[in-house]
Amino acid sequence: MTMEVTDIVWVIVKAAMVAIALLSFSNLAVLAERKVSSWIQGRVGPNRTTLPLLGAIPILGTGLTRMGLFQPVADGLKLLLKEDPVPDHVNKFYFFLAPVASMIPAITIVVVLPFGQIIADGVASPLVLADLDIGILFIFAVSSLGVYGMILAGWASNSKYPFLGGIRSSAQMISYELSMGLSILPVFMWANAPGAETGLNLFSLVQHQQLVWGVIFMPFSALLFLISIFAETNRLPFDMPESESELVAGFNTEYGSFKFGLFFAAEYAHIIVGSGVFTVLFLGGWHPLPVYSSAISLPEGSVGTLLSIGIFLVKTFLVVFFFMWIRWTLPRFRYDQIMKLGWTMMLPLALVNLVLYAIILALMTPVTH
Amino acid sequence: MEITLNHYLILSAVLFTIGLIGALTRRHIIIMLVCLEIMLNAANLNLIAFWHFGPNPILLHGPLFTLFTIAIAATEAALGLALVLAIYRHFKTVDLEQVQDLKE
Amino acid sequence: MTVAFYIMAAIAVLGAVMAIALRNVVHAVFSVLLFFSALAGLFILLLAEFIAVVQVLVYIGSVGILMLFAIMLTTKVTGDPTRKLLSRGWAWGGLVSGALLLAFLVPLITQSKSESNSQLSNFNPSVKDLGLTLMDPYFASVGVIALLLTAGLIAAVVAASSASGE
Repeated sequence: MTMEVTDIVWVIVKAAMVAIALLSFSNLAVLAERKVSSWIQGRVGPNRTTLPLLGAIPILGTGLTRMGLFQPVADGLKLLLKEDPVPDHVNKFYFFLAPVASMIPAITIVVVLPFGQIIADGVASPLVLADLDIGILFIFAVSSLGVYGMILAGWASNSKYPFLGGIRSSAQMISYELSMGLSILPVFMWANAPGAETGLNLFSLVQHQQLVWGVIFMPFSALLFLISIFAETNRLPFDMPESESELVAGFNTEYGSFKFGLFFAAEYAHIIVGSGVFTVLFLGGWHPLPVYSSAISLPEGSVGTLLSIGIFLVKTFLVVFFFMWIRWTLPRFRYDQIMKLGWTMMLPLALVNLVLYAIILALMTPVTH
Repeated sequence: MEITLNHYLILSAVLFTIGLIGALTRRHIIIMLVCLEIMLNAANLNLIAFWHFGPNPILLHGPLFTLFTIAIAATEAALGLALVLAIYRHFKTVDLEQVQDLKE
Repeated sequence: MTVAFYIMAAIAVLGAVMAIALRNVVHAVFSVLLFFSALAGLFILLLAEFIAVVQVLVYIGSVGILMLFAIMLTTKVTGDPTRKLLSRGWAWGGLVSGALLLAFLVPLITQSKSESNSQLSNFNPSVKDLGLTLMDPYFASVGVIALLLTAGLIAAVVAASSASGE
């Protein structure tokens, strides 16, 4: 192979940087969730946890303490240091495998997610770990593996509530994967209309949205996709697998300490990655304005690169905030309502949406022969 | 040693035979379905290998036929597992040797 | 390439053997998932990336979960160790399979010359080419497959729900 050793080291360093960024974001998302929930419910939220030396700094330290920024450290330490109980009745191997299996897909999807651009000599190239031609298919393939974590946890726990949680989650995720796949087909039909050669590449899709964001041209697809990622990430109102008032804590009832922490972090990592995918598909990635204007465009060089990353992250975090907002606003669906919604509403609507946009795009395309 | 078409064909023959042995000797109904999938996958490997080493890969016959096979295999798996559930509810067993009655 | 092929081949054979030999059905399904992923790796070696991703999407993402689902609904976690593993007349089955393997392998091994160079080096198959070929010469086949999938979906729903209706 032609790869030098330094190249390989550089690739590993980049991958580690992205993985660490994702994990820190998911830790901060836990704090953000607590703050958002307290804000919505008229409370204060975590504001007491402090570190011995840092917290004593006059204005900065107390400010950080008030913002609750030391809370994730305390939470993490608590989860790490607590006793790790393994019940006797579980299947040990799969019981340990499950938290890992639920974390892997979230970290893997980030590999193909473009999070910024580098403009050099007028040519834009993506800031991404692997620029695959079949990016979106890769995302679907990997995200379909996410259900294994839950199904394994539910089955290996060998007890009633986790088992029900596991069964529910797998049925729910299979059901909503269909409408998720169907809802984004119009986007790629649009991006591959004659004159635009995007393929299934995510970077080209973002560049295609420079003129107009996907969410403006096809808001209905965006809505269907957003609902589907709510279901796929098991967020309220779709948090069937762990509906705590019915199933104790669902699939992770038997888990404690660090293994529970992994599940917890994986949930938030999935939310962040799902929001990132939504940003790339519908919110125009790093393009600052919904509709193109020549006055505002990203400059060349490192400033432009940093700006593009910043814009992408801001959009992603806004979607994450939307996730939290919904959680503390809506009550939970009943299980039969979820299945009914998935199969008799989402799926037909996604099909209608697909046919509709096929017709619209065919009418928009000038007849050449 | 360079990897040739024969390497892939031998591998696929071995995999197909493993699947066949399983399908003919095991009595668990889900394992039988698993073995069918193994055999179909071995056939897919053959298709792709012939396409890769064949004279005219630009026609894309191998991937297309594999795509069709995968679609059929997915249908077969979904239908087969639905039948497994039906059989289990009726006979209360997943042991094929005990599924013998045509009537109640 | 050579090393990668042998590693993938070893994983595939190991996964397949474990899938048919293990007594615990859940272990068997997980070994077959290993087999599926090894095959996806082999497809990548053969420059069929699209098929490799579809393999992961369909087999590991859906068929594997369906199998686990069927197992969860029909067996207990610990399994049933007293249950017999092999069917009656398993020796005949093994014999037939062995004979078939011999029939496969003898011509392959005795043939000394084999195709080793690929025409694919100057042609990188893209998803677009695949899609265009699928939609032009093979349009009828796509229609038939779509019909088959729909029929399979309806049949699966009927088969699973009529059993619960009793």
